Amino acid sequence: MDDIDFKVYKIGKPEVYAHKCPECGTLYYPVPMICRHCSARRDPSGVFYSSWEKVPLSGLKGKLLTWTRVYALPVGFNDRYLLFGIVELENGLRASGRLLFEDPKIGMKVVAKAGIVREKVGQDVFGFMFDVR
Amino acid sequence: MRRVAITGIGHTIFGNLSDFDLVDVMAYASADALDDADIRKERKIIDQVIVANMGGGRLNHQAGIASSLVSRLDLEPAMAELVENGPASGGSAIKVGFATIMSGLADVVMVTGGEVMRTVPGWEGTDFVASLLHPEAEYNYGLTLPAFGAMFTRMYMDRYGLTERDLAILAVKDHENGEKNPFAHVRIPCTLEGIFDSPDANVVNNYIAEPLRLYGMCPVSDGAASIIMCATDSQKIKHFSKKKPVFIAGIGAATDTHCVHERKDPLELKAVKQSAEKAYRMAGISAKDVSFAELHDAFIILEIAISEEVGFFERGKAKDAIAKGITRISGKLPINTSGGLKAKGHPLGATGVSQVHELVKQLRGEAEKGRQVKDPKYGMAVNFGGFGNNIVTTICSKE
Repeated sequence: MDDIDFKVYKIGKPEVYAHKCPECGTLYYPVPMICRHCSARRDPSGVFYSSWEKVPLSGLKGKLLTWTRVYALPVGFNDRYLLFGIVELENGLRASGRLLFEDPKIGMKVVAKAGIVREKVGQDVFGFMFDVR
Repeated sequence: MRRVAITGIGHTIFGNLSDFDLVDVMAYASADALDDADIRKERKIIDQVIVANMGGGRLNHQAGIASSLVSRLDLEPAMAELVENGPASGGSAIKVGFATIMSGLADVVMVTGGEVMRTVPGWEGTDFVASLLHPEAEYNYGLTLPAFGAMFTRMYMDRYGLTERDLAILAVKDHENGEKNPFAHVRIPCTLEGIFDSPDANVVNNYIAEPLRLYGMCPVSDGAASIIMCATDSQKIKHFSKKKPVFIAGIGAATDTHCVHERKDPLELKAVKQSAEKAYRMAGISAKDVSFAELHDAFIILEIAISEEVGFFERGKAKDAIAKGITRISGKLPINTSGGLKAKGHPLGATGVSQVHELVKQLRGEAEKGRQVKDPKYGMAVNFGGFGNNIVTTICSKE
């Protein structure tokens, strides 16, 4: 039993990342292959071009732009309903994500948190969970 | 420049056709188009077949659908390809067919769109359609197309004062048209009292994705539609003497960001506007010349938003036009005379072709009693892919 490295089973801390263009500093979520502003290239492998710096986004404050409560969920979600919203973060980025609170209102202040948004076989998928505090 | 005439049209009923094979459903609509054009015996004059379909590979476990369709119709050695462009596959296939004729590669093209998606349960179908969203930033969350339709609706309501009751009024109009369309999935008329005003309306018209209710969503449908196009300068046009031709006056398409949240103003459907502008330019007309339109109302808000983006009404004003009855069959600018996706149904790959089928039917004057637009000159179809990230607009004319 000593041969087993239990570290590989360690669950990573949920986080959502933006990518930063190394040339002009523009932040992206999700990340493109070519910067919309300065046309710099990204290389996911980091071999030929930069793979772009990852910037964690949890903890940022934001404003709720719109929201919905969905009752007809896709396969893989066994909830009665889920709440979703589009949020504008304080750094100017926008993101769609889950809402963790009831009774949302357009324009209200939220905080970006990261959590498990989907469970695949053997893999937890992290994403935005917006909360009131 | 060549001119392209639509010389034959075919359509299956829309509804639950899950007992039938996908290619059989498409072949049935195609055979209808051959008969409408009266070329079943001379069918080998077709140079090219283009198939529009989104889910054949995943929902029906079939690949190489275009070859399969050609063979089932005995159209060999016609060229054949599949066009997959999400819910805008049908419009895209027509655009590709049009381009094939304009390039001189073909003189006669058959475009058939079809989808059989009731083979899987609802939540698998929802997941399948949601897979056209951004995998990391949208799909992973469990977001769906109805979720985006709902968030768009909420934003629109907040900015322009649209109410849920306005949406119900629109649904009543769509069902009024759909009831008279023999191909429509939902041929049940509904009243404002039944779906909104009565205290019991909540039961029949419950929320699917707030603020959108059941009567704010298109049904999940199977079905197919087909059109045959021919270059007017080709010798082969002589084969099509039975029906008065309808012409493709203009086609335009445009794309927008994959993610909705990346748009500066998420309420602005830029690709809709740009695709319509391109189509107007090619046709040499403007919004005020359009006699009637088929707009992609997968969510009822889209009939409103698209009608504003293409220039029929000012921003936020479509609801007043709807309340006045301007968009009804008897109104000045009838919209979704077929019942729209709301009542006619939305078999993804078939929808864009079905919209143009309706334009041809109306322009020929062949629409059913109570559904015919009076003396139309130009008809316009807007086929909406993704959540507004890939749009195809087609304008058809009588002359």
